[in-house]
This record gives sequence, C-alpha cells and structure tokens, in this order.
Amino acid sequence: MDYIIKIIRKKKHPFFSKTTWRLAWKDARFNIGRLMLFISSIIIGVAGLVAINSFNENLQNDIDEQAKDLLGADLAIESDNYPFADSLIHPVDTLGLEIASDARFASMVYFPKNSGSRLIRVIALEGMYPFYGVIELTEGSNIKDFRDGNSVLIDESLALQFEINVNDSLKLGNGVFHISGIVIQFPGSTSVTTTFTPSVYLPYSRVEETGLIQYGSRVEYNRYYRMEEENVQKAVEYVETIEDENDYDWSTVESRKEDLSKGFQNLYRYFRLLGFVALILGCIGVASSVFVYMREKRNSAAVLRCIGASGWQIFWIFFIQVSVLGIIGSILGVTAGIGIQYFLPWVVSDFLPLEVSLFLSWKSVGEGLLVGLIISILFSALPLTNIRFVAPMELIRGNENPSRIRSKFRIFIIALILLFPWLFAYYQTDDLLKGSAFYFGLLFAFVCLYFISRGLIFFLQKVMPKNLRFIWKQGFSNLFRPNNQTSVLVIVIGLGAFLISTMSLIQNSLLGQVEFVGSGERSNTVLFDIQPYQKEGVLNLVKEYDIPIQQEVPIVTMRLQGVRGRTIEEIREDTSEHVSDWALTHEYRVTYRDSLISSEKLAEGELMKGSYNEGDSLFISISDRLAERLDLKLKDELVFNVQGLPITTYVGSTREVDWQRVQTNFMVVFPKGVLETAPQFFVVIARIDNKQVAANFQQDLVKTYPNVSLIDLNLILNTIDDIFNKIAFVIRFMALFSIITGLLVLSGAVINSKYARLKENVLLRTIGALQKQINGMTLIEYGYLGLFSGLAGSILALIASWALAEFFFDTLFFPDFISLVIIWIVISLLTIFIGWYNSRSILKSSPLEVLRRET
Amino acid sequence: MEYILEVENVTKSFKLGDGNELTILNDINFKVQSGSGISIIGPSGSGKTTLLGLCAGLDQPTGGSITLNDIQLNRLSEDDRAYVRNQYVGFVFQNFQLLPTLSALENVMVPLELRGEKNIENRAKELLSRVGLGERTKHFPAQLSGGEQQRVAIARAFIGNPKILFADEPTGNLDEETAEGITHLLFEINREMSTTLVMVTHNSELAEQTGRILKLHGGKLIEDTFVER
Repeated sequence: MDYIIKIIRKKKHPFFSKTTWRLAWKDARFNIGRLMLFISSIIIGVAGLVAINSFNENLQNDIDEQAKDLLGADLAIESDNYPFADSLIHPVDTLGLEIASDARFASMVYFPKNSGSRLIRVIALEGMYPFYGVIELTEGSNIKDFRDGNSVLIDESLALQFEINVNDSLKLGNGVFHISGIVIQFPGSTSVTTTFTPSVYLPYSRVEETGLIQYGSRVEYNRYYRMEEENVQKAVEYVETIEDENDYDWSTVESRKEDLSKGFQNLYRYFRLLGFVALILGCIGVASSVFVYMREKRNSAAVLRCIGASGWQIFWIFFIQVSVLGIIGSILGVTAGIGIQYFLPWVVSDFLPLEVSLFLSWKSVGEGLLVGLIISILFSALPLTNIRFVAPMELIRGNENPSRIRSKFRIFIIALILLFPWLFAYYQTDDLLKGSAFYFGLLFAFVCLYFISRGLIFFLQKVMPKNLRFIWKQGFSNLFRPNNQTSVLVIVIGLGAFLISTMSLIQNSLLGQVEFVGSGERSNTVLFDIQPYQKEGVLNLVKEYDIPIQQEVPIVTMRLQGVRGRTIEEIREDTSEHVSDWALTHEYRVTYRDSLISSEKLAEGELMKGSYNEGDSLFISISDRLAERLDLKLKDELVFNVQGLPITTYVGSTREVDWQRVQTNFMVVFPKGVLETAPQFFVVIARIDNKQVAANFQQDLVKTYPNVSLIDLNLILNTIDDIFNKIAFVIRFMALFSIITGLLVLSGAVINSKYARLKENVLLRTIGALQKQINGMTLIEYGYLGLFSGLAGSILALIASWALAEFFFDTLFFPDFISLVIIWIVISLLTIFIGWYNSRSILKSSPLEVLRRET
Repeated sequence: MEYILEVENVTKSFKLGDGNELTILNDINFKVQSGSGISIIGPSGSGKTTLLGLCAGLDQPTGGSITLNDIQLNRLSEDDRAYVRNQYVGFVFQNFQLLPTLSALENVMVPLELRGEKNIENRAKELLSRVGLGERTKHFPAQLSGGEQQRVAIARAFIGNPKILFADEPTGNLDEETAEGITHLLFEINREMSTTLVMVTHNSELAEQTGRILKLHGGKLIEDTFVER
C-alpha cells in the first residue's frame, strides 16, 4: 500500500528567522568588495535618474511659479512689422484693466563718452509694463525719469561692456538720450539674450526722434494687458479670429509656461533618455554582478544544503544581502543625485530665462529609492532563484553545467523583468508610443545581437582552417566550444557599445544644432537694413577702409498667396492637407541671384542662369526643407505676393542648405531680372581682421548711416562658444553617467566569463602551456569578441541614433564617426584588457596552487 | 534489531543526450545497524559516491527505497530531506567543504544555528578544543592547513549529535601522517557519541576499521564483508 510521509515541524518564515539574517551578515561582511559592481551600478543608475528628474521637476516648478513674472502681463499680443490697427484691437482693449505696449527693433547704439558702438535691441515702452514682476535695476537708477519720458535705460551687460554709468548719454539713430538707469533683469530676458543683443529701453514717445523705423526695418509690436482671468480666454478667442490675416501672435501665462517647457524639450528629452539608459545599464550591471556572485556562492549554498538549510532559507540569505546593499546603493545614489542636482543649475543658469530654485524634490528622492530597490531585487532575482535549486550533491560530484530550472516563480520574475523597462520607458517619456519605441528598440538590439553571436559561432565553425597555429586554433575554438560564453558576451558588450555609442551620437546631433560650422575665412561682420539709396554710400565707406566684401545680398519681403493653383486659405481649411501652417503664412525674405553660395548644394533641377526674360515661365529655387514642408515637386506652381503684386513662379530647383553656417541663407531664391525694382534692402557681409579698423569703421557707419546695423560676429561667436561649451558640458557630464555605467557593466560581464576558461587554462598550464601561449589565446578570444560585439553595437547605434534624432528629438542627424570609432576601439581594448587581467591569476601562480584552489 | 539505514532495491540511472540510459547503481540492498560502522569500497566509477549521496539524502534514487532513521527519504521533498539531514546526519568530505567566509567557530556553529538553537558558542568551542583547534577558533578556512580544515569539518559534523555520519574519502586529500590523526579522531568521536558511520574510501586498512565492508563493482553490490575486530 502506498503511503505518504510528512514531516511536521514548526515553520517560521526564513525571512523572519534571526539565523537567516545572521548568516546573511556573516557571509556578506567579507564579500562587499565582490559586490562593488552591483553597488556601483545602482549608485550610478539612481544618481543619474534622481539628478535628472529632480532638476527637471525644479525647473518645471519654477516655470509654473515664474511664468506670470516672465510674461509680465496676463495677455500679450505681438504683431510683426505693422503697428496694431486701433479698430482691430479695440475689442481686446475694452477687456483690459490696464494696457501697455512696446515696439522692438534692432539698431546700432553709439556712446559719445568713449565712441563705442554696437548692435542692440531697442525696446520702446509705453505704459506701466510689467504689471507682474519688476524691472530690476542697479542702485542709483531712476526709473521715474524713464517713465516720465525723459531718459532711457540700458542693460547691465551693455553698461559693463562700454563702461557706461547712470547719467551718461547715448545716441540712437538721430537722437541723443540721457541714461537714467541700468537694468539687471527685464521680464523674459536671460543673461544670454542680453549678452547677445543687449537692450536699450526707450520711452515710446521718443521713438520718432531716432528716425530708425523705416522700410525694411523689422519691428515687432507688442501689446500687454492686465485683465481678469475670465476675460483672458475671451480676448484670446477674439485674437484667434484675426491673427492669421494680420500676422498676430498671442501669449498668456499658460501658453508661456508651455512654450518654456517646449523650449527645453530636447534637453529634457535627452536627460530623460539618459536616465533611462543609465538605469537599463544599471539593471544589466545588477543582473550580471549578482550572477557572478551567485556562481561563486554555489558551493557555499551546497554546503548549507548538506547541513540542512532549505532552498528558500538559502534564497533569503542572499536575498537579504542583495536587498540591504540595494538599499544602501540607492541611498548613496540618491545622495549623489542630489549633489549633482545642486550643481546643475549653477552650470545652466545663464541660458535659462528664470531663476532656478533649489529644493529637494521628495518625489525624485522617493522615485530613486524605489527604483533602486526594484532594480536591485528584480534583476538579482533570477540568479537568486537558481541558488534555491543548488543540489547538495554538487559538493561531491561538482556540477559545471547546472540544468535550467523551470519554476513558476522564475517565469513570473522573467515576466516582470521584461515588463519593468517597458513601464519605466513609458514613465520616463510620458508617452506610450515613444516609451514603447524605446523599449522595443532595445529589445530589437538585443535580438539582433543574439543572432549576430549565433552567426559568428556558425561562421567560425564553418570557415576556421584546420591547419591554424595552436594558439589561433585554441583562441578561436574557445568561441564555439561547449560552455562558451560567446552569446552572453556579444549581447552584453554589444548592448553596452550600442547604448554608449547611441548616447554619444545623439549628443553630437544635439550639439550640432548649436554649433557653428565655418572655416578660418568665415565672415565676421554683417551690415544690414541698408536702404537702396544708401547702398552706394555704404559700399564706398567699406572700400575706404579697404575691407573685402564677401557678399552683397538684396532682400525682398513677400508672402505666399497660392500653391499649385489653390489659395492659402483653401489649403489651410482643407483638413486632408498636411502642409506646414508656418510655411504657408510666413513672411519670406527672398534674394535673387544666378549662382549657388558655399553653404548650398543643388539637390534637384537647375538654377536659372543669367537674367529672366519677360514672358518665360519664372523658375525659382527653394530649399529642400521648404519643398518638404509644402510638399512641393519640381515644376509646381507658387504664387507670391510681393508688396501687393502677385507673381506666379514655378519650382525650378531645390537646394540643400547648411543652415548651421553663418551665411545669409535663403529658403527662396529668385532669378535675376525680376525683383530688382521691388522695394528692398541690402545686406553686406565682410571680413574685418583688424580690431582698430573695425572700431573706426563702426563709428563712421553709425554716424553717417544711423539706421544701418552692424553685427560683430566675433562678439556673438565668442558668446556662443561660451554658452555652447556650457551646454556641451552639461550634456557630456550627463552622458558620462551612462558611459561609466556601461563600462562597469562590460567589465562585470567579462570578469564573469573568467569561469568558463579558468579550468581549461589551468589544465593547459599544467601540461606545459607557456605564459605567452595562454596570453595569445586570451587576446585572440577576447579581441575577436570585443571587436565584433563593439562593431555590431556601433552599427545598431547608428540606426538607433538616426531614428532618435529624426523621430524623438526632431533634429538633423550628425553622425560623428570619429567618436564612434573611438568608442569601438576603447570597448575592444577594455574587453581584451579584462580578459588578460582575468588570466593573470592563473599565470602568476603555480599550476598546482591554482588547481588546489580552483578545481 | 534496530536499523538506522535500510537500502532496498536501489537503482540510479541517468538519461544520456542520445536517449540511452546510464545505470550507475543497480539493485542495491543492505541495512545498517544503529551505532555500527560500514565502509563502501570499489574501483573508480563503481558508484560509491553516488550510493553515499543517496543514503544521505543528497539525491534521489531512480528506483527502490532508502529509509533513514525510519524515514523513507525518496518520498520527501528536497527541503524535507534538508531537514532530516540537519536533525540526524553529519558529513565529512574529502575537500573539507567549509564555508570560506565563516571562521572555524562559525562554521562549526552553523548546523545548530540552522536548527534555531541558542547558546551554542560554548558547545562549538568545546568541540573545537576536542579536535585540537581550541586556539584557532577565529581563523578562517584559508588560514588553516588541510588537516586543520578537516578537523573543523569533523567538529561541524558532530556538533548536532547526528545519528549517522557520512564520510566521503575523509583522508583523501591529506598526507599519511595527518590522515592517521584524522582517522583516529574521527573514530574516537564516533565511538564517544555512538554515531553510525558510513564511509567511502579507497583505503582498505581504513575500511577494515569500520567493521563491515560493502564492495561495489560496476554499480552492483558484489560483497558484504563483516570484519572481526
């Protein structure tokens, strides 16, 4: 008869047993060093996440709090180039409790005190703007005098540059004004924008004295309202009905918040992506370090099993170790993250339009601790579950290839491991589609690398010549022999290379957005707003100073009236059309010429040579981006409205334009012989190498042609370089997180592979293999792995970063192949180095010693 | 007559990759009286170690049954067998198998700690003194010689007052002189505590000391000899 034996014993959950905790502690106290990779992975992953998310939260919070002060009003309406028509704006005016306005335009300023001059922005202010926040002034400034219309204010950066004080004077166009105050902060300005183009604040009543507003001058008119909250919406609804035909734009506190957030979107997105990558690398680091650790602990587990510990008891012993270290790692990571968060605003403060306050984001702290704990537990759970099933017989028999165990718990953990990065990607991007794209992209890379590794093994087995020298044969054979780690290493090294290279490529693309590309011969001076009647005089003045003119460009402003036989209104009302609204309503600045300039390349068609003959079809050239935005092909019809006169044109060619170059680049180029008689102004581009010549020329120009503006590109380029370096620093600093984590993870994985070769190498050594032979085999095996995996990762990174640039960051993709190759080489060398380092312990000791220790 | 270990029709086989079966042990039968000693000998590959592992509950037989202290092991789960080992069984291995991260004293204490017993330190110290390592309690395995490590292993094996001790080539890794000392110690404590001893060895002199020798060949029990002492 069959019978069942049950052992009934008092069961206390092993987790709550003091013995379990005591054994966990006793075993762990000398093993902390072995878990360094584990702790480092968590620290770096969590630190990156906390710093990034916390800073983002601080910034978002500040945007929310300061948006009203930044706008300075409840509603602002902007009109490009034309003053507000009273009849049109009247309904809005009636809703306002208080109204102010300004006109903004570029001009040269001249300081008689020291004959200094430069391009500035004039803000001609009327009314008591700002209604919220204040104009921050230096001590001794007198804003009342300015409000009364008696004087002007200037930005602090301008005052510092020309050593101007309160009570000095300046010349704007034809008018001379007394300076009564120096502005530290004006609503909405950043120290970067004021360094680029500092402002002079002028009472609106005195604009006429300057004589600066002429045809072709770009003037932006703003109208500010303080109004009840319920009226803001009414006013916006009204403005929306008239904004298109009058080229109005509006901002409310809410829309400003959104704009500001959008302004930092790419930075946010990049940081969030880095957070995701740092964390994923952290996860791989955790999994691989615990895997190594558990492998080392199999024997101890088997001993414990022999003397009576249950599988779960062993599981909990190591689980406690991992969790406690995970918590310590998370706390250290959070602390490091907070440190970095305090450091970030100091670096980025110059290009933020608001003061970033520093507060401890408890949400991010909690998030960091939670995520740290989750990854430390979740990603170590798989190797931990295996330790539960260590057979005590391993002590006697040994077991080099533990069989795979299928348990419900294990399947559950695998499901969670697959789910967690997906959920986290969704959380980081706040967009299911983009989050899923990240996740599946990563999964795709994973699968690709797996198949590449299988292909590599297959290829080597098929093509390896039989008559290779011993070390070559041995080195290559190691890649496909039983117990090889080729797949694991190709996946981990490849994934590391993939993530590091992707971050680096994306960093380059983002930096490429702000980088100026130009040779040493680049232009450094631009004169613009030259009226036709001034052209000859200005050119003569340039010649007098012996300044080489590099370009002389006529500019005509115009708007689109029709595309392919349909009016702009018809296209905009047609919901099936997906052309860019901006491209339809934008005021185009157009030039005419019959040749390409250095920043252009012909993409399709031909540029019309010579002059246009009346009666022929008028073929123009457009940029490829405009063709894309308006969905245009060669020979498509475009009707432009040039100062009230419709001109029918056809697309004759498209050009690739390098917009990063400091050049006068145009979306639309007309042939010669069409626009010469249209109202226009000129831009002259030159290069002045001598500073003294530049200063004298500027002074003469401002005195003779006060409306002509001069941009000193050297000044701007220096400022840009400075800002660019800061942004680049932030981006690189954050990218460093993922790179360090990646390298740590790679090291862990390669160290792990040591066990596969250890016994073999010891035996080879025992039977007489020389040090150089073992070294040679190691170099061949790891060199091949490093080179191949790194290359595979780099190629995948190219694809991924292109997709990210195109679809996620909406920016041009600038692949930096040099960085890619450097990363590839570094990863290959690192793999070889760790492989060699692993075998050192065998080479440095006598075979017997190693055999006794390791076998 | 009271038997501590009963092995009935035990077979152990493994499935090979090509679908065939490899039989390691074939229809083994024997019983071991409480407090007696027994040695298992035989050439390499004869199944000695496998049989020891099965008797100790470290593995499951493919067929037959093993009863240890009236508990039929092959009907128990791995965790229940672990409990049985903890309560009734002691082990001494050829490679000592101490936990490298624990000191000698801590290694000896572990089996009792797993039982949840308290105030065990003095007992462990006494036992370590008994095996001649009273001054080395705080040393870690790596700081002890092979002979000393095996002494710690013996102390660990006996701390729980096991009913049966399984020893797998306990002197296999030791020089002749040290081996003699260890053998002497093992038998002496075994006698003092009236423990049953089951030992796998290649050494016929050592085997004879247990009083009974089981000889295996090709997975079969071919001789069961009682030695007069």
